[in-house]
Amino acid sequence: MAMIDANGIRLHVQRMPAKNTAAERPPTVVFIHGLGTDSLASFYFTLAAPVSAAGMEVLAFDLRGHGRSGRPESGYRIDDFVGDLHAMLDAMDVEGPVHLVGNSFGGTVAFSYAVAHPERVASIVMIESEPATTAWSAKLGGLLGRAAEQLRYEEAFAWITENQGAHTSRLAKAASNALCNTSMATDIPASRVHTAEEIESVTCPVLAIFGSESDLAVQAQVMETRLERCRSVIVGGHEHSVLVEAPKTVRDLLLPWVAEHEGGRVLEGTPA
Amino acid sequence: MTTTPDLSAPEAVLADISEMLREVLGEYGLDDAVIEMDTKFHEDLELESIDLVALSGQLEQHYDGRVNFAEFIADLELDEIIELTVGRLVDYVVSCLTSVGGR
Repeated sequence: MAMIDANGIRLHVQRMPAKNTAAERPPTVVFIHGLGTDSLASFYFTLAAPVSAAGMEVLAFDLRGHGRSGRPESGYRIDDFVGDLHAMLDAMDVEGPVHLVGNSFGGTVAFSYAVAHPERVASIVMIESEPATTAWSAKLGGLLGRAAEQLRYEEAFAWITENQGAHTSRLAKAASNALCNTSMATDIPASRVHTAEEIESVTCPVLAIFGSESDLAVQAQVMETRLERCRSVIVGGHEHSVLVEAPKTVRDLLLPWVAEHEGGRVLEGTPA
Repeated sequence: MTTTPDLSAPEAVLADISEMLREVLGEYGLDDAVIEMDTKFHEDLELESIDLVALSGQLEQHYDGRVNFAEFIADLELDEIIELTVGRLVDYVVSCLTSVGGR
């Protein structure tokens, strides 16, 4: 486990080396997880090992307020998460553009990072995710506000324990620490959202993956229309948790995607 | 004549893993948990997935990079992960330690 100090906060980062490759500068894939009970573990145990085995450097980190990273009382606007990502890449000596892979809120952070630092991004993969817009902010405000309110009551823990097992209860408690004891639930929806021009300024390739049963699936069409180089894929039979429920499907989309957008560099020197 | 203990024997690996798990569980004040081959990570130990990342780092360090827990989990189906027992991890570690190139 690596703990680094970046952007004034302690961040938990996991690195996996590029294996089975002789490429001098293998591509770097950066995984960014979602909100609440999520952590880098959802990528660490699904895509990280296969991506590393396919000859790519892997970086996964816990967002502030999540997993083993620091949990400041305030400072949870998207710009803070973008600043953390930027500082983490510098601290880990990452050179050249990276492939950002974000799940849910992690994809929103990835997109905002590409708006702020287009020269550092080779491509973006957004899983069940959308860019930060006014509509996104209103939706997140409602979701986070309700979650924080619900979790604020001790009774909620008893109810969760009874109905969903102790494990979920402990996860819910961990999330409530951040949601109730920090300004996360109000900061995230108060983030500066992107203008239409900013969204359209993202010209790197974007792969948008959705579950067919998710209410976000309608974003596929929207993103393909608004972005210059966006390809969307709908995975049948899944809702929002497509990453953890169908990791092999997501992996089979991700590996050729990175290879395609590395101009074939991935395959150089990779044993057959 | 002395005999060298077989560090890749299932009993030895179970003891190693139990030690690592107690360290992880210690953060929750649960370092006295009973850990056996049929103990389930999810149901019995209630480990969060981020705790398993810590366990993964310990396994990698303890066995000099010969055990890749992330790779093992990535090959499993979701229901197998939920039902994962300590014994299944022990078997995997033993197979890593005794495979060609193992010491």
